[in-house]
Amino acid sequence: MSHQDQDEFRDESVSLWRIAFAPTVWAFHFLLCYAGGAVWCAKFGAAQGVGFLRISVLGLTVLALALIVWQGWRSARQWEPHDASATDLHRPESRHRFLGHAAFLLSIISGVGVIYVALPALFITSCR
Amino acid sequence: MAGEGVQGPRSDKAILPRRAVCLLPLVLIAGCTGRQSALAPAGEDAAQLKLLLLVMLAGAVVLWLALNGLFYYVTRIRPGAFHIRHANRLIIGAGVIFPTVLIGALLAWGLSIMPGQRAPGDGLVIRVKAEEWWWRVEYWPQGSDAPITSANEIRLPTGSRTELRLTANLYIHSLWIPALGGKMDMIPGRETVLTLHPQAAGTYRGQCAEFCGASHALMAFETVVMEPDAFAEWLRAEAAPAAAPGGAGAALFRDEGCGACHTIRGTDFAGTVGPDLTHLASRVSLGAGIMQVSRDDLKRWIAHTGDIKPEVAMPAYDWLSDADLDHLATYLEGLR
Ligand code: HEC
Ligand SMILES: [Cu+2]
Repeated sequence: MSHQDQDEFRDESVSLWRIAFAPTVWAFHFLLCYAGGAVWCAKFGAAQGVGFLRISVLGLTVLALALIVWQGWRSARQWEPHDASATDLHRPESRHRFLGHAAFLLSIISGVGVIYVALPALFITSCR
Repeated sequence: MAGEGVQGPRSDKAILPRRAVCLLPLVLIAGCTGRQSALAPAGEDAAQLKLLLLVMLAGAVVLWLALNGLFYYVTRIRPGAFHIRHANRLIIGAGVIFPTVLIGALLAWGLSIMPGQRAPGDGLVIRVKAEEWWWRVEYWPQGSDAPITSANEIRLPTGSRTELRLTANLYIHSLWIPALGGKMDMIPGRETVLTLHPQAAGTYRGQCAEFCGASHALMAFETVVMEPDAFAEWLRAEAAPAAAPGGAGAALFRDEGCGACHTIRGTDFAGTVGPDLTHLASRVSLGAGIMQVSRDDLKRWIAHTGDIKPEVAMPAYDWLSDADLDHLATYLEGLR
């Protein structure tokens, strides 16, 4: 790695975290919903039904979507989509925008993923 | 034009087999009927699943045609560059929004169907335990405190929802009666629930649908769906002890130790390793759906058990004389 590369890498480390952020939220949302559902149904589901479980999934989903939307908005700003010159990737500045673009798209897919993961909670009526 | 006369007959020959190939799907469609077909539903749940399949299939066909039509359009009908704005709209509209919404809608619809497949039963509970390679079956009519035990056959009344509570002995199995509903895993140490609402009387084949070992493919059963009155009458008869005949067969059954593994209610035989044989002769199949309850099959089963069903827990009585096998078969055929 040249000095210049190292510098850029350091400058962009925030962007790289940003790229991973939305999928990570999606992953934790998935984990908490499924593990939470399994534990709830094994311990309390038979006696107490799924009301609390559904509310919890709703809460987690709202939280996850809020984080993802916030993240998507920040990466959209980094991307600056209206600037057409951002297509050539040989300049560090364009690469910076490109990372924003990628993070933005990943936010969208993570948002869709979170919604799909939460959908079953709309329909379940018991632990069976 | 000039070559027409020459080519005619030859191309005819080429066309014939091609036409035959076009008929192939018709032959396959014939497999969509019958007593083990999810496409010939005989119950509410199977009908629901068939509808789900058809809608998904129709959706897939439309998508396939649209996508390939689009390919055809951009490569053959209107090749050349797209304006970037149109291209973006196409990708975002047809490539992102449309499939997301469509899949979301199908997912929501599929999920909305699922609770129905486990809706509470109307009273009758049937417990089924998957053994190595057969099915232990217990009927618990509403309010009963002791089961009516049977094996290798499930009977259900039409017009009401019956709850099947499933578990397994050593391995994971899966219970599937395609004509009546979806499949459900049977897991050692756990209870899973499947409820079925049959609508048409008849005999439908069920099959273990999760690979479980050497005789997995030989682990089937018949499901007999009956009108409620006929079912109630059958259940009464099933609850009664065996009309156990005596004679040489009964003595052999005792002396060969069959009773250590098999129960015949109304006699001293009370083993629980193998299937309950109390009303064996009124069942529609033998050996978990693989043979007939006939003299020949009974003799073959007793003398060549392991050849017929690999790794079966019942020893093969190949040292018995033909006369003894006949006596045993006579005895078993008397278990109505
Ligand atoms: C060691 C235990 C054992 C002994 C002893 C034994 N069986 Fe079995 N038997 C089984 C098991 C287990 C099955 C189920 C096998 C399967 O289908 O996988 C079975 C199945 C059967 C079946 C078929 C039942 C059905 O529901 O279709 C018949 C009939 C039968 N045995 C008769 C006999 C006779 C007759 C004898 C004595 C000559 C005998 N068995 C001895 C364990 C035993
Ligand atoms: Cu099995």
